[in-house]
Amino acid sequence: MVDAVDRFPFEAMASRCEIRLAAPNARTAEGLAQAAIAEVRRIERTYSRYRADSIVSRINAAAGRHRVECDDETWQLLAYADHLYGASGGLFDITSGVLRRAWDFRKPRVPGPDELAPLLALVDWTAVRREDGAVFLPRAGMEIDFGGFGKEYAADRACALLQQRGVRHGYVNLGGDMRFIGPQPDGRPWSIGIQDPRKPDGIAASIAVSQGALTTSGDYERCFDLDGKRYCHVLNPRTGMPVSHWRSVSVLAPLAALGGSVSTIAMLKEADALAFLEASGLAYFVIDSAGNAHHHSISGDYAS
Amino acid sequence: MISKQTPQELAASLLAAALLLPGVQAHADEPPRNGSISLRYLDYADRQPGLDRIHAHSPSVSVTAPVAGDWSVEGTLTADDVSGASPRYHTAISGASHMEDERKAGDFAVTRYFRRGTLTAGAAYSTEHDYVSRALSLNGTLSSEDNNTTWAFGLAGSRDSINPVNNVVVDEHKRTVSVLAGVTRVLTPNDIAQLTLTRTNGSGYYNDPYKLFDNRPRSRRENTVLLRWNHYVDATGGTTRLGYRYYSDSFRIRAHTLSGEYVQPLANGWTIAPELRLYTQSAAWFYYDPVYDATLGAPFPPGFSNGADPNRLSSPDQRLSGFGAVTVGLKVAREIGKLWTVDVKVEEYEQRGSWRLFHDGSPGLAPLRARVLQVGLTRRW
Amino acid sequence: MKVRIFFPLIASALLAQAGCTTVQPWEKGKLAKPEMTFGGDRLETRYADHIYTSREAAAGGAGVGGGGCGCN
Repeated sequence: MVDAVDRFPFEAMASRCEIRLAAPNARTAEGLAQAAIAEVRRIERTYSRYRADSIVSRINAAAGRHRVECDDETWQLLAYADHLYGASGGLFDITSGVLRRAWDFRKPRVPGPDELAPLLALVDWTAVRREDGAVFLPRAGMEIDFGGFGKEYAADRACALLQQRGVRHGYVNLGGDMRFIGPQPDGRPWSIGIQDPRKPDGIAASIAVSQGALTTSGDYERCFDLDGKRYCHVLNPRTGMPVSHWRSVSVLAPLAALGGSVSTIAMLKEADALAFLEASGLAYFVIDSAGNAHHHSISGDYAS
Repeated sequence: MISKQTPQELAASLLAAALLLPGVQAHADEPPRNGSISLRYLDYADRQPGLDRIHAHSPSVSVTAPVAGDWSVEGTLTADDVSGASPRYHTAISGASHMEDERKAGDFAVTRYFRRGTLTAGAAYSTEHDYVSRALSLNGTLSSEDNNTTWAFGLAGSRDSINPVNNVVVDEHKRTVSVLAGVTRVLTPNDIAQLTLTRTNGSGYYNDPYKLFDNRPRSRRENTVLLRWNHYVDATGGTTRLGYRYYSDSFRIRAHTLSGEYVQPLANGWTIAPELRLYTQSAAWFYYDPVYDATLGAPFPPGFSNGADPNRLSSPDQRLSGFGAVTVGLKVAREIGKLWTVDVKVEEYEQRGSWRLFHDGSPGLAPLRARVLQVGLTRRW
Repeated sequence: MKVRIFFPLIASALLAQAGCTTVQPWEKGKLAKPEMTFGGDRLETRYADHIYTSREAAAGGAGVGGGGCGCN
């Protein structure tokens, strides 16, 4: 069907989100979008650190005490996190969320080594025990969170749900991480702007995409500047300090979960990021700390 | 577990791991296709110096509709209104035969879509005062997993009945069987190419009953090789469409066709597309030049008065001579809203013996020129 | 004569060799444009085939199964 594209903005996962899709009429579009939004909110509720009844909160509350049984979905997310730990050489560690207690990005204050040391002792994915469908965090105070790929996973699930129901044109955008259902109804790709890391309303490049996912990790999402240096929310799990080599990393991948993981790992790898991106075989667009762009296999218009 | 992986292993393992996440991929059916209805009108007129030849008007309608998710049907109806004069031999004006005919043709095809391919069954029927043609075909395509390579296969057969109004023959027949094999390949994000081979075996009546001394073999084997390449030009947003076809048959005709079209989208839904086509063919071995019998003169083939075999193969048909031809055309189209497209196409065609490439063309034939005008309207749903 | 045999062989070899780096699904936006496909307008293609078949000896190439006519 050659249809108009409807937009459905909403707030979820602490970000501005939007679903765009083409459907035969407005009511069908509304119904489809609501179903997809409901799935995004389900994942948000299930894996939220802030809800006492979520599986993540229960696992974290039982740290150092007892194991917690988890369902298939959580089990597979943990397996994926383990794979990412290996693929990133130990840099992508979902137990590194505890470092958040030392870094408050609303205040421009750099924590000292004495604050970071006890937290770094709690960052250790290899210590997490996963057996017989249950997970155990051995030290009190350890935490896991799926913030590293949770939003992207939700985007993939929402997209799959819409595709299953026959949607062929549109995309799911969760806070800048996008999964495409299909091109625009006339077959042309979507023209997506990659945000300029230093100008909130500026575009560094326009990328033409019609399928797969476009995910971005950047040093501008939660950050502060102190004495001319930028401190961002992507923290190295071994030093507890923010990474600083790249201003943003954008990746084109078949799945948002894959793209989001790769772009985050690239940020963490700092100087080794380009080698890692080449090895991943994915198209990428990165901007380094000097503001220079490097890209591979990405089609579109580049502002720089 | 930290491991040192090669780049390929890393890429493959990351994707494999992501795919294991629950519910991230939909198991989708073949996407529904758009339906459309098209109307088109053709006005064709050809001429040679001193003689306006054939004039044809042809309206046609075509409908394509997706059906029940995995199927689509398409049908076409055409009517040709043809009138005018064509030479009874070579390009001789005095021997022109005047004719008027109406041809009606229709065809219908059903396509079934599979996960990685399609299967299409088609039937075609065409009727004129003196000629009825029926054809059946079966075509299939098969795509690779990454959809970058598609193989095509086809099988078709036709049966024609010929009953010329001058009763030179009665109830003649012609049968053909054709096969096709092809491959289409996505080369780069801007390039796609296609290679197609066809072979046709035919037997029966190939003569033109309205031409004098037209006696052709009762069988014909034809081969074609077609290579096409579409290229998107990033700088302009336009597309070049190039094609080369090599044709050879058992009449010993060899032909080369080189065609090029450049499609340039403009603002506001306008598109402009100039085209150029170059064609060259060799003469059939039994074609004879306008050099006539020494005693009897035109239109008798040389040697006729000396008692040459009256059943020998011969033809004075310009279409079987050696010549080159050029087509120059321009198409202008406009998209109106999301559903409608209208287009106008004008072409000029000229065919000359002296334009044959690589060898000499057949001498003594007047150049043929044709003017083609088309108007089309399409609505999608 | 030899050139005419070589050309399709070279063409098919090029077709098989070319594009060794796989084009990913998200790079296929431009290929979806109608002018980049090989179908073309159905009726326009038919008219062209019909006109050339009735004025030239060579016929066909892209498909099989069209049926014939007593074109003059």
